Amino acid sequence: MRVRVGATTYESDVIDLRGRGVSGAAVAASVRGERCLPVVDCASPTAVYEYAGRVHPSMGLRTRTALAAAARSRGEETPHDTEIAAHREELTAIDPSPPELVEATEAIPDAAVADLRETVAAHRGRITARRAVGADADAARADLRDAATTLSERETRRAAARETRELRREAARAYRDRLERRREVADALANARRAARATLVDRLADEFAAALAVVPGQTPDDPFDASPVTAALAVLRLAETPAPIALEVDRFPSPVASSDALDAPVVRC
Amino acid sequence: MILVVAHSRAGRRDLRNVCRSHEDCVVRQFGRAALFSATEFGAFQALRLREKHGLDIQLGRVEPFEPVDAPTRLREAARRYEDRDEPSTPYRQFASGRDLPDPDEMCGADL
Repeated sequence: MRVRVGATTYESDVIDLRGRGVSGAAVAASVRGERCLPVVDCASPTAVYEYAGRVHPSMGLRTRTALAAAARSRGEETPHDTEIAAHREELTAIDPSPPELVEATEAIPDAAVADLRETVAAHRGRITARRAVGADADAARADLRDAATTLSERETRRAAARETRELRREAARAYRDRLERRREVADALANARRAARATLVDRLADEFAAALAVVPGQTPDDPFDASPVTAALAVLRLAETPAPIALEVDRFPSPVASSDALDAPVVRC
Repeated sequence: MILVVAHSRAGRRDLRNVCRSHEDCVVRQFGRAALFSATEFGAFQALRLREKHGLDIQLGRVEPFEPVDAPTRLREAARRYEDRDEPSTPYRQFASGRDLPDPDEMCGADL
C-alpha cells in the first residue's frame, strides 16, 4: 500500500505514522473510501473493516457480527444466502413512495339526482296535460329540456365522482399493501441474516477461540466475552484482510509483529 | 363512526397520542386503529392525522351492523353452522347437500 502524509509518501505493508499527527479514524475512513486525506492507495477493504478496520483502546465490537463478516471476507457462504439475495431484490423492487392520488371530487348525493328526476317527470306530465286540452306546451317543453339537461349533467358528474373515489381507494389500498409486503420482506430478510450470521459464527467459533489464544490480551473462558480490542485482533487474524488496518493499541512489540500476527497490512497510528 | 388506521410507525405514535389527549372523541382504540366519534371534532382529529401522514393514515366510515341488517338466509346459515355436531367440519362441506348458501356465491354477492 501507499500512504501520503503531507509531502511524505510511505510505501510498505507496515507503515508507522506515530508522531505524524494522523488519527487512526482518518486512516480507516480513507481505507473505506469515505475520506480522501490522508491519501491511501491500497486494495479494497472487505466487510470486516466496518467493524474492526480500526483497532483502538476505547472501541466497542459486536463480536458475533464481526466474526460473521470475517467469515464472509473469506468467501464463506451459507444455505440462507439465496433467500437473503431474493429478499434483498424484492425489497429494492418495492416502491415505498406514496402514489399521487387523483383529485377528489365532491360527492353528489343521490337525493339531488332523485329530485331532478322527479322534476323531469313533472314537466313531462305538464306537457301531456296541456296537449290533452289543446293548450300551448312550448314553455313546458323548454322547462323539460332544461331540467333534462341538468339531470344528465348531474348524473355524469355523480358517476365521475364515484369513479374517482374508487380510484383513490384502490391506489391507497395498493400502496398500503406494498408497505405491508415491504415490512414482511424486511422482517424475513432480518431473520435470514440472523440465521446466516449464526451459521457463520458457529462455523468459525473454534478458529476464533484459537486466534484469541494467539493474539495478545486476556483469553476469557467464553471466547465471546473477550474485550473488544482482543476480539477485534482475533477476528482480523481470521479474516481476509487485503487492506490496511489502522492500529492504535500497544499490544504488539512492533508494527511488523502486529502485521505478522494479523496477517494484514498495518498502519500504526 | 370514523375508522382511523395507521400504517406507519410515526402514524401509529400520533394516533396513540390523539387517543390519549382527546378521549372524548375516541369511541374505541385497538393497537394501530381507532374508532372516532362521528362528530366534527372526531373528523377534525382524523383529518389532522391524514394531513400529517398522508396515505399512511387510512380513513373510513363505520356503520353499526346488526344481525337483522343481513338477509335471513345468511343468519340462518350462521346459526345452523355454529350449531353443528362435528366442530371440525368446514363450512363448505357443511353447506353442500343442505339448503345453505355456497361460500363462493356469498363472496361474489354484495350485501
